[in-house]
Amino acid sequence: MTQDELATLDNTKISPRERKFSHLMLWFEDLIKVPVFRCQHCGECLLSSTAFTCSQRCPKRIRNGPCGGTGKDGSCEVYPDRKCIWFLIHRRTKRMNRLAALYDIKKIHNWSLEGTSAWLNVFKRRIDPPIIFLTREQKRKKLSGQDIQR
Amino acid sequence: MAKTFKDKIDSGRFILCGELGPPQSCNGDVIRKKSAHFRGHVDAVNITDNQTAIVRLSSIAAGKILLEEHIEPIVQMTCRDRNRIAIQSDLLGAAALGLNNVLCLTGDYMKFGNHPEARPVYDLDSIQLIAALARMNEGRLLSGDTMKTPPHFCIGAAANPFAEPFEMRLIRLYKKIRAGAHFIQTQPVFDIELFEKWMEKVREMELAEKTAILAGVMPVKSVNALLHMQKEVPGVRIDEAYISRMKTAADPEEEGIKMAVEIISHIKNIKGIRGIHLMPVMWESITPVILREAGLNRQNEEK
Repeated sequence: MTQDELATLDNTKISPRERKFSHLMLWFEDLIKVPVFRCQHCGECLLSSTAFTCSQRCPKRIRNGPCGGTGKDGSCEVYPDRKCIWFLIHRRTKRMNRLAALYDIKKIHNWSLEGTSAWLNVFKRRIDPPIIFLTREQKRKKLSGQDIQR
Repeated sequence: MAKTFKDKIDSGRFILCGELGPPQSCNGDVIRKKSAHFRGHVDAVNITDNQTAIVRLSSIAAGKILLEEHIEPIVQMTCRDRNRIAIQSDLLGAAALGLNNVLCLTGDYMKFGNHPEARPVYDLDSIQLIAALARMNEGRLLSGDTMKTPPHFCIGAAANPFAEPFEMRLIRLYKKIRAGAHFIQTQPVFDIELFEKWMEKVREMELAEKTAILAGVMPVKSVNALLHMQKEVPGVRIDEAYISRMKTAADPEEEGIKMAVEIISHIKNIKGIRGIHLMPVMWESITPVILREAGLNRQNEEK
C-alpha cells in the first residue's frame, strides 16, 4: 500500500478563519446529515461508499466492514437490540448493486478533521471525493481478487 | 540460524499453531510452565492480547518469556486499547525484543470484560493495522517518517467465516490480504459444512494462494463450554450434532478430544488450508495430545 492509500496527512492545517466557515457549512450539512443519516461528524464522510448508512454509528467505529461479532440475525455484538451497522450497509449496498465500493480499504481516520464540514473537506481536497459511480471493469476485477499482487 | 515462522510459511509446509492465554497476574512462571506443552509440537504459539477485554499480562512481555523458552510466539495486537502512537511504539518494542509475528485484531469490546466502563479507543481497525505493519516493514511510520532500521514483521490476520453477512466476510478477507496479511487464522470451526462453503468461495476469488490460511480448532472440555460459546460469544456457529454428542458423552473430556481430532482430520484435507491453529481456552496441556491423535506429530516429521 502506498502512503496516499493509507492516511490523509498533508493539507490538514485548518486556519481559524476557515474553521469558522467550516462550522457554518456544518450547520447546513447537519440539516440533512443528522436527521437522515445520524451523522457522527467524523469530517471524513464515507456515506457514498456505504450506501448512505453512516458506518461511524458502529460502537467500534470500524471504517472497513463488520467485526467478527455480527449475530445470526444481523445483531450488533455490543448492543444486541440493534442491528450491526455493517449488516445494514451490506444489505443496502447489495440492493444498490454497489458491492464493489466495499472492496476499497478505507483510510485511517484523521481525527483532526473531527467536527469539521466534510463537504468543505472534499472541496479542499483533504479527503477522498464521494464515489459516484463504479465502472463494470472495476466491479469485475475486484470481485475476483486479481488486483492482489504477491 | 533457526527457521522463523515466516520461513516456515514460505516453505509451504503444513503449519501448526497453538494458543496461550497469559495469566491475570504478574507471575511469569505460569507462562514458562505452559510452554512445555508446546515445545517441539507446534511452529508458533499465539499469545492473546487481553482477550475478551479482561486484563492480563501483556502479550509482548509474555512473548518475550516464550522466546526465552525457545518457542516462537505470535503476538496478538488489538486496536481496542491503543491509539496509533501506542500501537507503533509497542510494535517497535516488540520487534526490538525479537517478536516479529503479529496477529492484527480489532479487539473484543470492553463490555465483555472486567472493565466495561473503560473508554474504547479503536483508533485503527484491524485492516488498517495490517496496512500499518506492512508500511513499517517498508521502513515508514504512519506519519510518513522513515525509520533507519525497518522491522521485519510477519503479519497475521483473523477471519470469521461463520458470522453474518457471509459475503462481507469474504470482502474482509480480501481487504486483509490486500493490506498485506501473510497468514490468516480463522475462528474455531464447529460447522464444517459452512467452512467448506467459505473455502470454496475463497478459492474462487483466488485468495487461498496469496496467503496462508490456518483453520482454527477449539477443543472443549464440556457441553457447557459449547453452550456458552453458542449463546454468549457472538459470531460463533456450532453444529447441533456436536452439542448433542457432548451432552450424551460419558467422558466429556475424552469426547472433546475426539471431536477436535475429527474436525482436524476433516479440514486438513480441504484444498487451500495451509495449517491448523489449535486454541484450547485455558486447556493448553491438551495441545500435544490432540496433535498426536490427529497424526500431526512434528517430532516424528523432523526426524
